This record gives sequence, structure tokens and C-alpha cells, in this order.
Amino acid sequence: MISFQNVSLEYRLGKYALENLSFDLKSGSFTFLTGHSGAGKSSLLQLIARLTRPTSGDIQIGNIIYSELGVRQERALRQQMGIVFQDNQLLHDRNVFDNIALPLIIGGYQFDDIKLRVNAALAKVGLEQRGSEKPINLSGGEQQRVGIARAVVARPKLLLADEPTGNLDSEISQEIMQLLKHFNASGVTVVFATHDEHLLQTYPFQRLTLSNGQLVNDESTQSAHGSRKRSSTRKVY
Amino acid sequence: MRTKPEPDALDGSGARWTYTRRGYALSQSLRQLKQQRIASLGTLLMLGITLALPVILYFAYLNLATLGHRSLEGESITTYLRTNVSDIAGAELAESWSTREDVARTDYLSKEQSLAMLGEASDISSVIALLGVNPLPGAIVVYPQITDVATGSTDRLAEVLRSIPEVERVQLDLRWVRRLAAAISLLAWIGGLLAVFLTLSALLVITNTIRLELARRKSELEVANLLGAPRHFMNRPIIYTGAVYGLLGGLLASITGLMVLNAVQSPADTLSSLYQNEFTVSMPTMTQILLVISVCVCLGLIGAVSSLYRPSQHFRQ
Ligand SMILES: Nc1ncnc2c1ncn2[C@@H]1O[C@H](COP(=O)(O)OP(=O)(O)OP(=O)(O)O)[C@@H](O)[C@H]1O
Ligand SMILES: [Mg+2]
Repeated sequence: MISFQNVSLEYRLGKYALENLSFDLKSGSFTFLTGHSGAGKSSLLQLIARLTRPTSGDIQIGNIIYSELGVRQERALRQQMGIVFQDNQLLHDRNVFDNIALPLIIGGYQFDDIKLRVNAALAKVGLEQRGSEKPINLSGGEQQRVGIARAVVARPKLLLADEPTGNLDSEISQEIMQLLKHFNASGVTVVFATHDEHLLQTYPFQRLTLSNGQLVNDESTQSAHGSRKRSSTRKVY
Repeated sequence: MRTKPEPDALDGSGARWTYTRRGYALSQSLRQLKQQRIASLGTLLMLGITLALPVILYFAYLNLATLGHRSLEGESITTYLRTNVSDIAGAELAESWSTREDVARTDYLSKEQSLAMLGEASDISSVIALLGVNPLPGAIVVYPQITDVATGSTDRLAEVLRSIPEVERVQLDLRWVRRLAAAISLLAWIGGLLAVFLTLSALLVITNTIRLELARRKSELEVANLLGAPRHFMNRPIIYTGAVYGLLGGLLASITGLMVLNAVQSPADTLSSLYQNEFTVSMPTMTQILLVISVCVCLGLIGAVSSLYRPSQHFRQ
């Protein structure tokens, strides 16, 4: 489903956040994206979400080739993904219900449909009774679950989660992991960025491990073509 | 707001219409206005005041334009006859003058008519009724040929009329008319220039306000961008805010303008009656008020679009 071909990302000239990545992720798979802080996990997810463009290489999802997309199509593509952000990105000027409803409003859904889906999403993350509360009144774990509800409310085929368990205790991390596993079981492709060793030990999903912007292991990735190839004579643009 | 935590109560904070794309945009704009109540009120007052003067100038111009127009049409020389000239003699005199080639038309005003006209304007007539005699003279209103009015040879005509023995006094009604016409066109120029400057500053007020609002809404715009909202979804609330400011500012300015016009009405009428002119300050028509308001809404829209131009670059990926 997701395919990277020799993708590099250079924020500053000569400094690569991601370097020559190539891999394939199957539709319906669950992938851990791991690596030390600053390894490039968020950058990689941003590339998939088309929030950043690669300096070189190309990305493909299904039969959509990223380099051929126009601005409008990029935004439409993003609407079809669910993204859980590292810093949850909830809006504090509105209640939980309205936060979760936002992607549906953007998508032009009917009010009755919005109500139905938001309440279903709230139920799925176990926050049935909390819709009318402001996010600021929720705990960190609950806020993160609101973020997940917002990400899944439009029923995306692809869910990107950027350290949703970042600074939560391990019990809540397990809950969130169960949630994502549950979505994966219903057919959603999940890419889960984390450096939570405990989770990585507990769940036997495939991993993409980054180190300084490079893929370092591929023992469990489906395909590793070119991921090991490190061109020592890189062109500097 | 929400007291019952039943499942059915979990339907967000807004009304149904706020969950459509356009409804959402409008509710966001109104919400900003409400949340920043003091700041919004300040901005609105500033806008209203800035726009009020151009509006007042416009309304005043509408009035003065009709005044100048009407007065030039009726440019005339009023000759008051001596009181010993009878109505019949006066009418004959008017008849004979009308054959002059520099005169277009004459109207004879009998003593009775003069009295009646005076009676309309004041209650002097009751004093006269007490006297039992009509002390008023007859008058002949002479309308000069238009070409003569233009060249100023009416002064010569007035001289001729003044030398006629039956004539007591000659009053040139057109001098002040001409001065007025010149004054009006000068005022229109100055007013127009002022109006342009003030309108520009109103535009700046709107643009600046919306810039500030963009900064306030930064996080919302960022989240919408992350969720893949199209550009127009993010711009729409800003544009609506501009339109709302324009609308409210225009309303405020129109109300101020109408109030000023209303306050000026009676002194203006007094002034015009001094010149024996039937001019009254008239209120602008509904169409003219609507025109003013829609121009203000357009200003708001222009302000919004121009302030959007740079910040939206920020979100271009
Ligand atoms: N917008 C940016 N501009 C410049 N450099 C950036 C930007 N975003 C990230 N980087 C750099 O790119 C590298 C990878 O960052 P990234 O955020 O992808 O790491 P990460 O693996 O998500 O780290 P963490 O676990 O701390 O979230 C880092 O060296 C970071 O400093
Ligand atoms: Mg990160």
C-alpha cells in the first residue's frame, strides 16, 4: 500500500533528516516505526501525510503517485488518512465533540451523519459521556484518545500515529495500543511511531527502525530493496 | 449550557447549521466577534466613525445636488412693485415684459397671492387680517432667457427693470444660486477627496483587524491544515469576518449619517426658507442606504482578501 523509493528529506542543505529510504508496507499491515529521538520518525510520517515533500525520491500509496499530485489533491489525500499527532493537536476553544467533528465538517458530511459518527468514535475510544467537555479538562491519556477518535471518525484506510503514547504511563499506553490494534483488525493499515520498548516487546508487529534518518533493520519488513544501499558519494544539490 | 448528560445531548456546542462548511465558517467568525467583545466593539466603532463621514458627505451631496439643480432651473429676478400699483396694472406690466427678448417668461404675483404665500410660511397673516388692509405689494417674477443667465447679462436686465417707475425693488435670486452651485462643486471635490482617504483608512482598519484575527486563529488554521482542509475552507471564516465587519460598520455609519442629517434638517430648512427656496433636506432613499451598506461590505471583503494574501502563503506546503 505504502511504497517509498529512494526517498530523502533534507531540511537544511546537506543535513538529511531522512536518507535514501526504500520500503513497502502492505495494505492492512501494522507497522512499528521506531528509532531514537531525532531519528526521523515524525518526518517520515509527515512525508506519508504529504505535510512535507521529499527532497528526492518518490512515494506511492495504492496507485497514487505523490509527485504527480496537485495541491488540491494532496489535501484531499490527507482527508482520507487518519493522523494522531505527537502533540495531539486538539483545539482548546471547543469541546471534545466539536474537535472530533472537525474532519467531518471539512469533508462536508450531513449533520445527522456527523452526530452518528462522532458518537460512535467517542464510544470506540471509551469517552461516551465526555463529548461536551473541553479537552483541557481531560487527562493526557483521554486527550490522546480524543485525538485517535478524531483520526478515525471519517473511517480512513490508513492511520498514522506519531507517539500517541509518548508521555503516558504504560497502562494507558496498553489501552491505546489495544485501540489501534482493534482498528487494524478491522482492516485499517496502521503505522505507529514509538520508542516505547515495552510495547515493542509485547507486540510482535513488523518494525521500521530508523537511526539518524536511515533504515537500520529490515528483518520484519516485507521488502527491503535498496534500504541497505548507502551511497557514500551522495550528490549535494 | 448543557446540563443533561444523556447520549442525545452529545451533539456539540453549536446549532445544526454550524456543522455545514459555510455554517461553520460563519459561526467561527461570529464567535471571534463575541469572544473578543471589547476589541470587536472598539474596531466596529472605529469603522463606524471612519465610514460615517464619507456617508454623511454622500448623503449631503445627494441633497445639495438636487438643490443646485432645482434652483438653477428656477433662476429668476423678483421685482416688487410699488404698493400703489394695482393688480390689473401689475398684470399688464408683466404681460408687456414677457415680450422682451431677454425674458423667457414672467409670472405676476398679486397682492392676495403674496399674502397667501406669506400666510403659509408664518402667522403674520393673522396680524394682517387684524389690520384689515393688505399692505403687501404685487410682484413680477421674471425668468430670464437661459443664455442670458449663462453670460451674466441678467445684471443688465435687472438694471433696466430697476429703472422702471412702477418698480420698488429688484431682487436677483440667481446670485446666491450661482454662488451656491460653485460652492457645491467645490465642496463635492473636497468631500470626495476626504471620503476617499477615510474609506482607505477604513480598509486599513479592516485589514489590520483581520491580520490580528489570523494570528489569534493560528492554531485552528494549523489543525485544519493538518486535517487536509482545502484552502477555501480555511479562508472562508476570514472572508466572512471581513463581510461582517463591513456590514456592521456600514450599518453604524448609515445610522450615524441619518442621525446627522436629521439633526441638520430644521436649521437647513430655516436657511433655505430665508432664500425663498422650497428646498428641504430630504432623507436618502432605501436604495441609497443599501448602496452605502453594500459598498461597506465590499470594503470588508477587500480588506479580508488582502490580509489573507500573505498569511496563506504560510500554509502552502
Ligand atoms: N521543520 C524542521 N526543520 C528543520 N529540521 C527539522 C524539522 N523537523 C525535524 N527536523 C530535524 O529532522 C530530524 C528528524 O526529526 P523528527 O522530528 O523526524 O525526529 P523523531 O524521530 O520524530 O524524534 P522524536 O522521537 O523526538 O519525535 C531531527 O534532527 C530534527 O532536528
Ligand atoms: Mg517525532
